[in-house]
Amino acid sequence: MTFVKICGITSVDDARTALEAGADAIGINFVAGTPRFVQTDAARKISRTVMGRVVRVGVFRNASEDEIRRAVEEVGLDVVQLHGEEPPEFVEALPYAVLKALPGDAELLERAERYRGCDLLVDSPSGGGSGTPWPFERARALVSCGRRVWIAGGLGPENVAEAVRAARPHGVDASSSLEQEPGRKDPERVRAFVRAAHEAEGAGEQPDPRGYFGRFGGRSVPETLMPALEELTEAHRVLREDPEFARELRETLASYAGRPTPLYFAERISEDLGPRIYLKREDLAHTGAHKINNAIGQVLIARRMGKRRVIAETGAGQHGVATATACARYGLECEVYMGEEDMERQALNVFRMELLGATVIPVSSGSRTLKDAMNEALRDWATHVRTTYYVIGSTAGPHPYPMLVRDLQVVIGQEAREQILAAEGRLPDLLVACVGGGSNALGLFHPFYEDREVRMVGVEAGGEGIETGPHGASLSAGTHGVLHGSFSCILQDDAGQIFPAHSISAGLDYPGVGPEHAFYKETGRAEYVPATDDEALEAFVYLTRMEGICPAFETAHAIAELRKRSPSLGRDRIVIVSLSGRGDKDVMQARDLLGGRL
Amino acid sequence: MNRIDRTFSELREEGRAALIVFVTAGDPDLETTRELVPVLAEAGADIVELGVPHSDPIAEGPTIQAASTRALRHSTALVQILGLCQELRNETDVPIALMGYLNNLLAYGEERFVQDAASVGVDGLIVADAPYEEATVLQSACEAKGVHRILLVAPTSTPERIVAIATRSRGFVYCVSVTGVTGARDYLPSDLTALVARVRRVASAPVAVGFGISTPDQAAEIARISDGVIVGSAVVQRIGDAGSRAEALRSVRDFVSALSGAVRAARS
Repeated sequence: MTFVKICGITSVDDARTALEAGADAIGINFVAGTPRFVQTDAARKISRTVMGRVVRVGVFRNASEDEIRRAVEEVGLDVVQLHGEEPPEFVEALPYAVLKALPGDAELLERAERYRGCDLLVDSPSGGGSGTPWPFERARALVSCGRRVWIAGGLGPENVAEAVRAARPHGVDASSSLEQEPGRKDPERVRAFVRAAHEAEGAGEQPDPRGYFGRFGGRSVPETLMPALEELTEAHRVLREDPEFARELRETLASYAGRPTPLYFAERISEDLGPRIYLKREDLAHTGAHKINNAIGQVLIARRMGKRRVIAETGAGQHGVATATACARYGLECEVYMGEEDMERQALNVFRMELLGATVIPVSSGSRTLKDAMNEALRDWATHVRTTYYVIGSTAGPHPYPMLVRDLQVVIGQEAREQILAAEGRLPDLLVACVGGGSNALGLFHPFYEDREVRMVGVEAGGEGIETGPHGASLSAGTHGVLHGSFSCILQDDAGQIFPAHSISAGLDYPGVGPEHAFYKETGRAEYVPATDDEALEAFVYLTRMEGICPAFETAHAIAELRKRSPSLGRDRIVIVSLSGRGDKDVMQARDLLGGRL
Repeated sequence: MNRIDRTFSELREEGRAALIVFVTAGDPDLETTRELVPVLAEAGADIVELGVPHSDPIAEGPTIQAASTRALRHSTALVQILGLCQELRNETDVPIALMGYLNNLLAYGEERFVQDAASVGVDGLIVADAPYEEATVLQSACEAKGVHRILLVAPTSTPERIVAIATRSRGFVYCVSVTGVTGARDYLPSDLTALVARVRRVASAPVAVGFGISTPDQAAEIARISDGVIVGSAVVQRIGDAGSRAEALRSVRDFVSALSGAVRAARS
């Protein structure tokens, strides 16, 4: 949802107007000598009127710390908005939540970089409060780097929807355009503005409130689970806007999981293959894969929701290990469902989970792999839904999971974006990632979604070949249907029975895929191709030999596609590959498969 | 008039609850099901639910999962199940509801499926993984063709959802007795009576209770508090345990007779 701030409130009447219109925040001006300046007494009255119902923002320009503190304490303010040339050190030292205003000009990104710890309000370059519109899409780069951005400057009921679509901001701010005379708001226009801003998000945002990305997604699950999914959706919505939760997650990912992960320029394979190849090193995250980003996030949500028992499904065991790790860290009970075939293939990870204190429950039904583990986990959840939190490991499953897991994985792409801009001064030409359920791929792709010039390729499990053998390529070779609660691309027969998938890598051995990928495919935003078991195994050896980085079998599929595609790209092209996980878990299997062929 | 409505209105006159019996179509083969359905009706089942086997039945416990696996060994598909229903209509007028999973219906084509189901005399449709706000195409097709879309309400359903489901469900409301999947239970939850009462207060259709009911005593208990008793896994278990078709028919007939006796005696 796009938040709405009504600025330049000068009276209790105007404050009530904003409140009744459904605004989320109001701004009170403390810049003496400007038209909407409010004296302390009047400001206190306004503040008391709206306390606890909207966020109260005080607007300052080059004020001293003393002046700001006095206003905050005497009036009662929730946020301090700084509209002058306050230096970064000054902003950082203030003991308040700060909204730093910056002009939306060509130097916006550079300036924003200097103000790291606060939210940003991007205003018209022709001067704060001038009410002149500007190219709002300039703010989008900040938004997709994960900054919380408000936009202001010439916004009114007529253009706010368009501005929201262009910038995708956290919030919008308007003042003078909503007045009937200077210093007095027009209730009609305030209402129209709030309504237009709140609705604007519904039109563009994916998924829609029912969990659909275009026509993919939704919630096809037994009624028993529906209330739990509604609860989780709400919890996610609230926590997504909760700065305290964001801080806890960010700090945990940094100090415990090792984020940010490096973006590594892979010199030797660049030399060998052609383009400038960067590897986003998720293999260096704690537990050896991107899965930890999601596991920590969801376990933090589980704690907030007061659930003591956590369940998960796992294929290769990486998500199971990540979840067991997060549960060990926070002292939660953890049970992991795993197909018997996968338990044989990934015996090491089974032991790791047990070592972490989790119980691994073997699943012997169906194909005895990831699909069946997920069936069993859903049945368990339906039975223990009141006490149990289900940590789904990928961008699959019923709404809100595809959105929730994506939101927890976009940190991959947000970091990669900043890192490539720092390294190369421009965006990449191509992104490559493997796709099973699709979480590492979406994590990388999503922050580049609006950058149409950045191409994206998802690489699926081609298994023994999509024409000839069993495989796991739901997007390349599947049809539309429902699996595990969402409508997407799946592998099925004519009667709608699910085919067992096949892949050398247990993590891609899944006959479905996240609905957002089906949407990307249908709209042409991303392209999806298969890589076979043999190609992946070759790529596994190649990367290990060339860069001294042994990738997971899953990741090796992305490397296989990189090798195929690179020769057609020029030397000046930039490619980012999601190195989603490390290959230690696959070393024994590789030894058996390769025999003496090293 | 839809056979389900007719049955419930007759039972209201009689002052008793309906006995609704579930078996998986094609378990272990279609011929067994073809012979079994008239036997169920004769033994006292007022309504028959035919399960459409699915490869990934997430709402089912081990018993019905195993039945689905047995049925899928012969690739029992919707097209054959509809053919079976057509044959059954020559022998019995017992109301038939199909119970299955959304993906098999999508693969068949939702509208075409409802059209074909209506034309072979199917009276109701229960989709285990389609809550009321999903499968809107199916919903309107059912309304257009007079096939009742029977919705499930669960112990976890919020008051808002109970209202939405109970007012939308046609034929009857399927009230799930336990938080969990299908399968026999030794004990039914103590707050079940309250749940059924809440659903009944807002439902426009009769309220039947299923999941976990496995003995004549439990059936009688449910028959006293609701408009219908649904028994599935306990019947399916007897089919799975039988050494031959004849034994399956005999065993199921005896069990359904006992259930029927208990339901008929419950309110007298």
